[in-house]
Amino acid sequence: MSAVSRGDARQARLGACLAFPSSLVVFCIIMVPIVLMFRYSFNFHDPVHIMREGFTFENYVKFFSDSYYRGVFFDTLKVAATCTLLALLFGFPVAYFLAKTQSRHKSLLIILLVFPLMVGNVVRAAGWMVVLGNAGAVNALLVWLGVIAQPIKLLYTPLAVVIGTTAVVLPFMILTLQSVLEGIDFAVEEAAQNLGANMFTTFWRVVLPIAAPGVAAGTMLVFILCMNAYATPVLLGGSGITMMAPSLYGQIAKASNWTFGSSMALILVIATMLIALSANWLIHRRYVRTMAS
Amino acid sequence: MLASIVPIRRFHLGKWFLRVFVFLVYAIMLCPLVFVIWLSFFKDSILYFPPSGYTLSWYKNAWDNQSFVNGFIFSLQLAIVSALIGVSIGVVAALGLIRYRFRGAKYVNTLLLSPLLMPGIVAGIAIYLFYLRTENFLDRDIVGTLGGLVLAHICLTIPWTVRLVSASMHGLDPSIEEAARNLGANGRVAFWRITLPMLRPAIVAAALFSFIVSFENLEVSLSLVGPGSTTLPIAIMQYLEFNLDPTIAAVSSVQILLLGIIMLVTDRFVKLSQVV
Amino acid sequence: MANVSLIHLKKQFGQSVAVSDFSLEIADGELVSFLGPSGCGKTTTLRMIAGFIDPTAGRILIGGTDVTALPVHQRNTGMVFQRYALFPHMTVAQNVSFGLEMRKVSAHERDRRIELALDMVRMTEYKDRYPRQLSGGQQQRVAIARALAIEPKVFLLDEPLSNLDAKLRLEVREEIRALQQRLGLTTIFVTHDQEEALAISDRMAIMHDGKVQQVGRPDVLYEQPENFFVAEFLGKMNFFAGTCVGPGQFKTTDGLLLNVDAVTQSTKRVGVRPERVELVAVATSGNNIPVTVQSSAYLGSFVDVVLAGPNQQRLSCQVPNTATVSPADAFTTGRGLVMNFKASDCVVFNEEGDA
Repeated sequence: MSAVSRGDARQARLGACLAFPSSLVVFCIIMVPIVLMFRYSFNFHDPVHIMREGFTFENYVKFFSDSYYRGVFFDTLKVAATCTLLALLFGFPVAYFLAKTQSRHKSLLIILLVFPLMVGNVVRAAGWMVVLGNAGAVNALLVWLGVIAQPIKLLYTPLAVVIGTTAVVLPFMILTLQSVLEGIDFAVEEAAQNLGANMFTTFWRVVLPIAAPGVAAGTMLVFILCMNAYATPVLLGGSGITMMAPSLYGQIAKASNWTFGSSMALILVIATMLIALSANWLIHRRYVRTMAS
Repeated sequence: MLASIVPIRRFHLGKWFLRVFVFLVYAIMLCPLVFVIWLSFFKDSILYFPPSGYTLSWYKNAWDNQSFVNGFIFSLQLAIVSALIGVSIGVVAALGLIRYRFRGAKYVNTLLLSPLLMPGIVAGIAIYLFYLRTENFLDRDIVGTLGGLVLAHICLTIPWTVRLVSASMHGLDPSIEEAARNLGANGRVAFWRITLPMLRPAIVAAALFSFIVSFENLEVSLSLVGPGSTTLPIAIMQYLEFNLDPTIAAVSSVQILLLGIIMLVTDRFVKLSQVV
Repeated sequence: MANVSLIHLKKQFGQSVAVSDFSLEIADGELVSFLGPSGCGKTTTLRMIAGFIDPTAGRILIGGTDVTALPVHQRNTGMVFQRYALFPHMTVAQNVSFGLEMRKVSAHERDRRIELALDMVRMTEYKDRYPRQLSGGQQQRVAIARALAIEPKVFLLDEPLSNLDAKLRLEVREEIRALQQRLGLTTIFVTHDQEEALAISDRMAIMHDGKVQQVGRPDVLYEQPENFFVAEFLGKMNFFAGTCVGPGQFKTTDGLLLNVDAVTQSTKRVGVRPERVELVAVATSGNNIPVTVQSSAYLGSFVDVVLAGPNQQRLSCQVPNTATVSPADAFTTGRGLVMNFKASDCVVFNEEGDA
């Protein structure tokens, strides 16, 4: 071996050593448990001993054959899809505004966007409880205005969950879209206008197609977040709606049905991945010509 | 030729409409926090709008509440330890991955970032089940201990550290270190005295950001806490499942304040909008 | 195609004035360059004509119609951008087609005009490629085709060549000029490169600090600069400060007496171009100034010689490469020579720096 390649090999060994501790931790604490959980989902459920070693699909069958659990799954899907769509509709104009603005308040606006993400979903859900509760701000306002006589039930409904979850994921959507839009060379939009396209046509025919892959990535991220939501559905949905994450947690922690809970966990993760990836693939197929990367 | 020409003005209706829209969306995102903080000062113990008066007594109430104080301290300890350990091994790992490239580095990178893709609740449960099995094996408690939680939280802090530090390293101009070597510094000196200091903002930001991520985490911690050792978000959540009053609003406001301040400090070091 | 009238155009950003009182008539089919250093206001003016910027004051007429209040997409000015600004998600053909689609041109007619436009820039075989698959020069040609396909009233070019390498710049510049003349396009060409401007313009407008310094044919601007800035910006100039001491007589501050045909009472400075100066061993008829060689640079077709005048002022001379003696030998540092030039080759400037 020449001195150069020996040096390279030493470098590579050093690199691997440096990365080893972190890799070990993540492997043991994340990878192994997930695989273990995967394995548990194929075990038999035993009321006394919680679990009996074996290999069966009964947990998965139970999930898909029980209309209650199918309902939980589809409710989760509906809420996630609705929130993703709303986040896209509300978030895109804001992202566009932030990308184009020259204001010196821009960094303040960005901080205001990141701020809710930092304080935790529990506290944000608490805030919505204050707003949407029977004694909350919205009802108080409507009663005071004389629009209604009695408070309407807003909390502990699917609507509350949709509102709360959309508010939670909006900053993610806006930040992702904003960086995509900022990446587009402004001269391209000017060229379109110069060639005769008004603002709307420029947006529809030029900006949107170029931004599409980024939009797809942001949408995928937000969809995954919505599917996996825990704190918001529990606090704002209560018994009014049951979603996958709270449900599977209940199976493990409260019902001690590890095998079934594990299978639910796997179903959640795999279904989310499949849906997100196929939506992403569809958009890429349509707009793949846009960018090299 | 006309001597004075009237300047042309165009009224952009669309622009004003957009501004109003943006304002409304921001209001939606921020109003929960505003209301929580507002509620924490309400005089009445039962939620009612408009409030009859204002008081600071709920903060005292929260301060006297053992479970909240314990939760706060526990979360603090957990976040500090997890951030310190996670950033230490995370920075080292990022260095190993990017500076000393080795075969399979790409896979290791994916591994280290993978916790970000997991649903928190699933990860928490999986770790719980794994701990139970290991407890049997090792014949000692893991679930409900600080150590068990730290291990789990490290898996939250490592990905963000690797992301932040990697991004910073990619942004470094390689010719700066080359200039140092050209001026006579050997590889190691150039690294310690030139490159590493340039990474300092990213490392500090990683530490602060990791603190935030660990402190506010609910889903992973949920399965791993025990009696006497619970985190503040969990304590808040359990209270909220039964009750909504100014006391819990006060506790929540404290969390908002703490994490908000740390976020502002972090923003001094690294533009958070690029990270998230 | 149409003529363009710029009437007292002014643009102010806050406190700073980017363009002040720019008036110009551009004839149908004429190529006018806006030339000047960065920040002189040339691009701002171009963008006002295109409609991307609203003027603070003034009007813009295209073909006699006041377009000042018209939005960009209704002005029918075809623009070529500095960094090409091709639509990355469309093929070459689709890029060129875009403007035609905006004008609701029928599919059949569109195809014909796309063929025509791409043929003009010799990019027909690339019509199904994407911009990222093309080189800089090719992208620029597509950008030109795209702007021309719509048959605009005015053709606007914003430093289109500055991102190309030197050889390509020459090629594309000639192509643009050839196209422009063949099609009779009224064209405004913004550049900071004087060679470009000199080479292709029918007329040039030199700008500095938001103000137009001089407008005219390239040769007129070069031979008869109206002020210091133009004289120094276009090419190089040897200056001598002093006063007029009689008809055709100018005494420099160093005490040299020069014969200058154009001198007047208010002349404070006299200039002569380096290529109008000869370096000789002994004084002959005309003006003679003893000089010492400081350095010389062999630039292929000529030698650029830097000299020191009698009072150490910096002078330069361009010696065409027809000598049989090697320039290295001819212009050794320290060699004493005489700088000789005719009285008729001098340009005069008064106190304010105006000619």
